[in-house]
Amino acid sequence: MMLYRIRHVTRFDYAQPVAFARCNLRLKPILWSGQRIEEYALSVQPGGRTYPARAEAGLANVVRLVVEHAANSLTIESTAQVRVDRQIPMPAPGDPTIAQIAALARASRDPSPAGPAAYLFPSPLIPLDRAIAAWCAEELRQDRGILEAGIALAQRIQRDFAFDPTATLVDTPPHEAFAKRGGVCQDFAQIMLSGLRAAGLPAAYVSGYLRTLPPPGQPRLVGADATHAWVLLWCGPDLGWVGVDPTNGIWMAEDHIVMAIGRDYADIAPIDGIVLGSGAQAMQVSVDVEPLEVAGSAG
Amino acid sequence: MASLAEAELFDAGTIADRWITDYCGQAPAGDVLCARTGDAWSALFEELAGLSGDGLTIARERAHRHAEDIGTGYRIGEEGDERPWPLSPVPLLLDQREWRSIEAGVVQRAELMELLLRDCYGPARLVADGHLPAALLTGSPFFLRPLTHLTPPGEHHLHFVAFDLCRSPDGHWRVLADHLRAPAGAGYALENRLAMARTLGGLQGRLNIERHAPFFAAFRDGIAAACRRAEPRMALLTPGRFNASYAEQAHLARYLGFLLVEGADLAVLDDRVYVRTIAGLKRVDALWHRFDPRYLDPLALDSHSSIGVAGLIDATVAGNVVIANAPGAGLLEAPAFAAFLPRLSEVLLGEPLRLPNIATWWCGQPAEAAHVTANLDHMLIAPAFGTPPLGLPEGKAVLGAHLDAGARSALRDDLTRRPQDYVGQEVVCLSTMPFVAEDRLAPRPFTLRIFAARDAAGNWTVLPGGLARIGEHADARAAVMGEGSWSADVCIHGPDPVAPVSLLPSGDSTQLRRNPGTLPSRVADNMFWLGRYLERGEALLSVLRVLLGHSISADTGAALAAETVDRLAQLVVSAGAAPAPRGLKRQDLTQLARTALESTEGAASVRAINAQARSIGAVSRDRLSADMIRLLDAPFPERGVLLERAGSLQRRYSALAGQAGEHMGRTDAWRFHDLGRRIERALATIGFLRALGGPQATADDLSTLLDLADSQISYRQRYLTGIARVPVLDLLALDPGNPRGLAFQAAAISAHLNALPVLSDDGIAEPQQEQARGLAAALVTARATAIDDAWLADLQSRLWSLSEAVARRYFLHGAEPLRAAGLVLA
Repeated sequence: MMLYRIRHVTRFDYAQPVAFARCNLRLKPILWSGQRIEEYALSVQPGGRTYPARAEAGLANVVRLVVEHAANSLTIESTAQVRVDRQIPMPAPGDPTIAQIAALARASRDPSPAGPAAYLFPSPLIPLDRAIAAWCAEELRQDRGILEAGIALAQRIQRDFAFDPTATLVDTPPHEAFAKRGGVCQDFAQIMLSGLRAAGLPAAYVSGYLRTLPPPGQPRLVGADATHAWVLLWCGPDLGWVGVDPTNGIWMAEDHIVMAIGRDYADIAPIDGIVLGSGAQAMQVSVDVEPLEVAGSAG
Repeated sequence: MASLAEAELFDAGTIADRWITDYCGQAPAGDVLCARTGDAWSALFEELAGLSGDGLTIARERAHRHAEDIGTGYRIGEEGDERPWPLSPVPLLLDQREWRSIEAGVVQRAELMELLLRDCYGPARLVADGHLPAALLTGSPFFLRPLTHLTPPGEHHLHFVAFDLCRSPDGHWRVLADHLRAPAGAGYALENRLAMARTLGGLQGRLNIERHAPFFAAFRDGIAAACRRAEPRMALLTPGRFNASYAEQAHLARYLGFLLVEGADLAVLDDRVYVRTIAGLKRVDALWHRFDPRYLDPLALDSHSSIGVAGLIDATVAGNVVIANAPGAGLLEAPAFAAFLPRLSEVLLGEPLRLPNIATWWCGQPAEAAHVTANLDHMLIAPAFGTPPLGLPEGKAVLGAHLDAGARSALRDDLTRRPQDYVGQEVVCLSTMPFVAEDRLAPRPFTLRIFAARDAAGNWTVLPGGLARIGEHADARAAVMGEGSWSADVCIHGPDPVAPVSLLPSGDSTQLRRNPGTLPSRVADNMFWLGRYLERGEALLSVLRVLLGHSISADTGAALAAETVDRLAQLVVSAGAAPAPRGLKRQDLTQLARTALESTEGAASVRAINAQARSIGAVSRDRLSADMIRLLDAPFPERGVLLERAGSLQRRYSALAGQAGEHMGRTDAWRFHDLGRRIERALATIGFLRALGGPQATADDLSTLLDLADSQISYRQRYLTGIARVPVLDLLALDPGNPRGLAFQAAAISAHLNALPVLSDDGIAEPQQEQARGLAAALVTARATAIDDAWLADLQSRLWSLSEAVARRYFLHGAEPLRAAGLVLA
């Protein structure tokens, strides 16, 4: 069991004062199995109107922000205290196979964003791709157990791809990152999702936070962290949604805090929207994920 | 006389009979003409023969010319220019009895679609009860989750729908495709009818053909009834002029009396939608959109949309704006749905489908997948949701029989992994209808697009007729016909005379109006710049004509002094229309004029200015007369010597000025157009005065100045002595009676700005009004002897500043959206 204090600050600076902004903030971590939100606060400087959105695409807490006065900068600070208590799944011989999971998902009677059907299909930012499908298929035989296949694919991505922030941009499509065999968490998550979906499996994109484990004897790095992205794989009605992190080749565990879940980044971008103005904008993000208490053996 | 008319009629009848006999000799079984009952088709061909004798090409030419005159073009792909709508002169005739049964099927289907949307975006009971797999919803790229659990304002998801039908050779009608997102084609159906009425005027009464007008009136009333306010403002929201059917949209907006708006014209404040007009923000109650619905709102839907309106979905969720159709309606267009409709009709309506679909199997279910795999050779294999699946070559629908061994095995592979991405469909054969190929009738396969709209009482009404689309080749399989390259009018005929319908509301219920209403800021902007570009082109042309005229006569000794020619050349160069000439020899000047006239580089040649005016004309079809559009659309003259081409263009610009002066209604749109002209003309005249009216001005300079400002005659009427500098300056700058002079422009500018709406009622002049009054006053109080370059330069910068003040106050200034996104994840 872990208790985290998360501070996520985003600052936009505009070359010309902007007269009007309308944004979605999907910053408050959602209620999800294995985690509980104990405290939450959102602040916007120099001020603006916020209200919860009624119309939304993913599993996210969405707040609309409207700024109607001229401003040179906009700072959005989200702080949360989240308790995480999560078990790591254990692959077993009796696990449902990939073919069985795919068939169950196709026949699902749950169209909600928590059901598998919502994540069976390619999405705008994660199209199906022949090359990715073929590469991932080597780990995704139709008769292989779902958990074994899931972690094997994540580990294969972690092993064969270089973590390289210079290789890709935020809007680099999966096939490009795949061809380069490099990128960051978003690229790895997208490649894995494209491969899983090509095999007929329902899989979702998760954005959230990851505690960076400090090397022994050194203080935890503060301020260097960013938001993280990984994958949720539906493993049938009994196992439900299981998280797997291809950047690190591990299961989602007590180091992971889920912020939002969607088909891809577009459903759950922490901040998006439009600003009316002209000229350039610059953005700075800082994320602190600080463990407050540690209990039990996990972590 | 009587015997001559009879002879003609006899001839027409004979010709018609021969055409029909020849045609049916070659038409495949089940052709609509050969399977006819009654004599309506004979009447049609008699009319055609009466029109053009034995030659069918004449009829085709005439229909085509009428379609061109009506002017609703369309665009293919990335083409810059619109092409005229291809209309076949032979309409499709449908008997009233047959039509009534199609109509009933269309109404049933529209109602079924509405009930389905209500459930899919509501409680989703059909999914929970196992009538629909959840994957059928989530598989569609048009299932818009943000709109689930919401009831659209006015309760209805659908207001205007279209269905593509096909007729098989046995005479049965079936549905090929549903169009629920933003159905296109009604404008073309209207146009086809208009063109056919002009071509075959007599047919309408002879066959009692049902009319189109009541349908559109019912649609308009239906949208109005869904709005909250009693006198709603309704608009057609277009993705813009690069959309393939922009011209159709402009045509429909004008026909229906809807404002034509783009996303940038709209703003959402406090969950209400407003259009930005020159008189401030005005409430909009309903939008008939022609968007890909995913781009309607970058906030609630796709954040990459740069054409949408941020907050639009929140506004409709709050019930403040009707969006027709509801943005999520496209969900049901997925071919996979067709597989479930027969059953869903029983479940929801308790009755079978009156108009069946072509048989469809969704492979997401094991039994259906097995059936499709076993019958691959007799099926069309298509993407189940439109998204290209991995197992189809190019991701497109293909006849199973056409797949080679490699493609077949790729498809089978993917069918084991992602069967949900595929449907199998029966391969349908279409019946044929007559079409004019070369100069004779030939049978061609056709499909029929039918339109239905919800009226004020909430009931469905069907357009009597529609859009027949004709395949170019004789291959009658629906799968290979595609979109069809020709269209034809569709006439519903019957035994009873059709009451003449007038679109005019009855009696005294119409409140008289003299104000044409809201002028969106974007339209004002376009009108203003159209005026400026046309004047700018005219001014540059007049310099070029003087330059060319005199350089050509240079050899005969009537040339201007070299210094005057040099100053003219400088005028062209400083306008940015051409680089400085190497010298002032005849060939240098010809080269200069040629570049300034027709260069494709830069934005200042006559060609470039003409192109800018033309592109504004293309987005202002709903505001300009057909004659103005024709003049703007006319091709740039490419043949003849330079002087002739410049002259031809100048005449075109004069004609445009005449159109604007004599034919445009004195609306605010006209005021902006004229304002643009006046500001540009004043700027051009200042340019001429500074170049040729200085203290060193020669007689040649002054005479040329009068030529450029088109004021030779005015000068000679006032001054019998020769040319002198101060009188010329007075005439061109200060004389309020000279319509080419500065004082005249300044007075007109000020008058326009005084007449345009102001935002507050405090009686204090707005900045642009203040500046215009200052400018006019400066010209009233100045003395010709005091005019010098500094004074002219000051006037020039005041005009620039005035133009900016106009833009700031009236146009969509600084409202370009930036995306606030791009968070980097690690």
